[in-house]
Amino acid sequence: MSDKGNNSPISGEEGSAKREVSAGLMQYSPENLMPFGPVHPALHEPEYFKLILEGEVIVDAIPRIGFVHRGIERAAQDRTWIKNIYLFERICGICSFAHSLSYVQAIEGILQFEVPKRARYIRVIVAELERIHSHMLWLGLVGYWTGFDTLFMWIWKDREHVLDLIEAITGNRVHKSYNTISGVRKDLPENISEPIKREMAYIQDRIRYYRDLVSREETLVVRTRGIGKIDAETARKLCPVGPLLRSTGIARDVRTEDPYAAYDEIVPEVKTSSQGDVASLLTLRADEVLESCRLILLALEKMPSGPTKLTAPRSVPKGENAFHVEAPRGELFYYIRSPGGITPERVKIRTPTMANVLTATSMLKGYTLADVPVVLTGMDPCFGCMDRISVFEVDKEKQWSVRGEDLRQYGISHYKTKKL
Amino acid sequence: MSYLTRWSRKRSIWVFPVNAASCNGCDIEILASLTPRYDAERLGVEVVASPRHADVLLVTGTANSMTRGILKKIYEQMPEPRLVVAVGACALGAGVMRGCYNVGHGVDKVIPVNLFIPGCPPRPEAILFGILKLVGEHPRGQVVAKEQIGKVSTTEHEEGEK
Amino acid sequence: MEEGNLDDVAARVGGQISQNRNSRVLTIEPGKLRDACKFLIDEMPDFYHLSTVTGFDEGKTIGVIYHFWKGKEFLSIKTSVPKENAILNSVSDILPASILYEAEVKDLLGVEFKGNRMTLQRLILPDAYPPEAPPPLRKEADPEKIRKMMELE
Repeated sequence: MSDKGNNSPISGEEGSAKREVSAGLMQYSPENLMPFGPVHPALHEPEYFKLILEGEVIVDAIPRIGFVHRGIERAAQDRTWIKNIYLFERICGICSFAHSLSYVQAIEGILQFEVPKRARYIRVIVAELERIHSHMLWLGLVGYWTGFDTLFMWIWKDREHVLDLIEAITGNRVHKSYNTISGVRKDLPENISEPIKREMAYIQDRIRYYRDLVSREETLVVRTRGIGKIDAETARKLCPVGPLLRSTGIARDVRTEDPYAAYDEIVPEVKTSSQGDVASLLTLRADEVLESCRLILLALEKMPSGPTKLTAPRSVPKGENAFHVEAPRGELFYYIRSPGGITPERVKIRTPTMANVLTATSMLKGYTLADVPVVLTGMDPCFGCMDRISVFEVDKEKQWSVRGEDLRQYGISHYKTKKL
Repeated sequence: MSYLTRWSRKRSIWVFPVNAASCNGCDIEILASLTPRYDAERLGVEVVASPRHADVLLVTGTANSMTRGILKKIYEQMPEPRLVVAVGACALGAGVMRGCYNVGHGVDKVIPVNLFIPGCPPRPEAILFGILKLVGEHPRGQVVAKEQIGKVSTTEHEEGEK
Repeated sequence: MEEGNLDDVAARVGGQISQNRNSRVLTIEPGKLRDACKFLIDEMPDFYHLSTVTGFDEGKTIGVIYHFWKGKEFLSIKTSVPKENAILNSVSDILPASILYEAEVKDLLGVEFKGNRMTLQRLILPDAYPPEAPPPLRKEADPEKIRKMMELE
């Protein structure tokens, strides 16, 4: 599209001067290059990482993202406010409730709606259940990538208990379709508090066991301790969000800093860790699961009675609003502009993985090829989220890449400035 | 015990899941179907790390312009006879994403599909049922030949479970 | 949080401040963007957090907002550039986190960011996206036509 740049983003003085700033763009020779992906057993989603190696050690990692790009933000402009709730849920299959939560609360801000208190409490319960399920999924996957299959199987078995609760409350396992503008679509089922208490006790019990396990089990410790380290200084610069940020010791959580739903009354305790490596992410996420269990039980205890939704108008007055929630992976940002009507003018979504990917590439540097799956899983990537509209790549020049003739031709035509 | 179960116990079905621009929902349900609650491995279903070892390709997602080339390539890498299962609403016909500028309307426009499993996402039971039904109904050797890639006829689809 | 942040910036680089629910928006000239961001970062040396960079089509112009998150508020710096000559100076050297967000705006709305090396080539869109089609989030872009051009039908 824009071949007018004289200096390529890879070569040139400017590139080397800003190396750390730009996720590591530097000069390299093709011999040291190792393609990772797009379809790789270590990534369940198609993404492409170009690893630049010196022997076994990764000098640099350049991601090419956008394999899951669908164009949802554009599609949202043609659909009504209500329809968009269900579209945005399908940005990501893991944090779908967080997406709809952020979106509807942004609209409620423009409408200046007072959401019923009971609905706000129910939102907290489902959001925390989703956090538990997401974190457990991640803990299991780390077990999987480190070759600790037993942990994967155990945790995923326990995760089904959480999914059962989610299904009992919302009716669906994955895409909950539970939020609506002005509240939640239905009340909690009767007699749900008994199963919730029972399952929470079970989950807490199991998570305490796993937390103990991951901190002393040799196979995990060797693969994760000291791997993928970032310090607070880098984190300040690159603005990651969520557990990745908190693992560096910065206690930053949307739930406490800018409370939404009922988090002003059910106050979470922000867990941090100071090591900043994958091992600390393991224990940190386990701690967050325990904290979420506590929040759910607290919300259940304080649950007020009353309606769960009001009648919301179909059209939204002119205005704009920015809103963010703490999704399982970190701050999830929505910015909506309403022209005054039944469709939005612009919905901007910034997902946690988009904010974390710069940090993840800097985490890879200096570690060996064998650590790549663990480190990449460590940031808990959710490329489905990230690519819905935003993709970036560093270069197109893959003439000698393994991916065949069509790409080769494309690369040549698109990247003429590179000196091979 | 049914013929189906006996059949699948005798053989082992190795599957390779491909995410062709999916939201992850179907992928985590595929993974969930392998874990103890649903335990696909008791039926011989196992996820392998390379398409070259796979009998069945599980495709999720809308096959957008970036992934459709990859999908074709993966399909070609599979050994014959090969079976393809499209999992989820997006793979069937883009689902809720229909009309977005970078989604394909169905995986069957890219590679021949033997079976469709609807749902957004389908439950693990549905995925297991689909895989087993497919293997039971299509004896090996009667699958689409390599030359037919990309020009699959409509009758092919009707054999699947729409 | 201290209230003065954006006021200080406004006093130094000019522009109007408006309160919009939970965000305080400073509207400035495109040329002042770098100065404003720099002052804002200097005001928050302990920790600033750039949430994202948003771009949107305003009809004749393209609006670009830098959202900073602090406490219970967003501090937003907004500027707009004309559609035909959409060029801004990148802040990616003083704000490393913005490099991807700017690249996203560049590809989806066609705003050039001078100095952001990730925008030198097409970054965001799929390989098959037709170069002659307008950026997808501009109002003149038609998803159906783009689909046809990309041969996705």
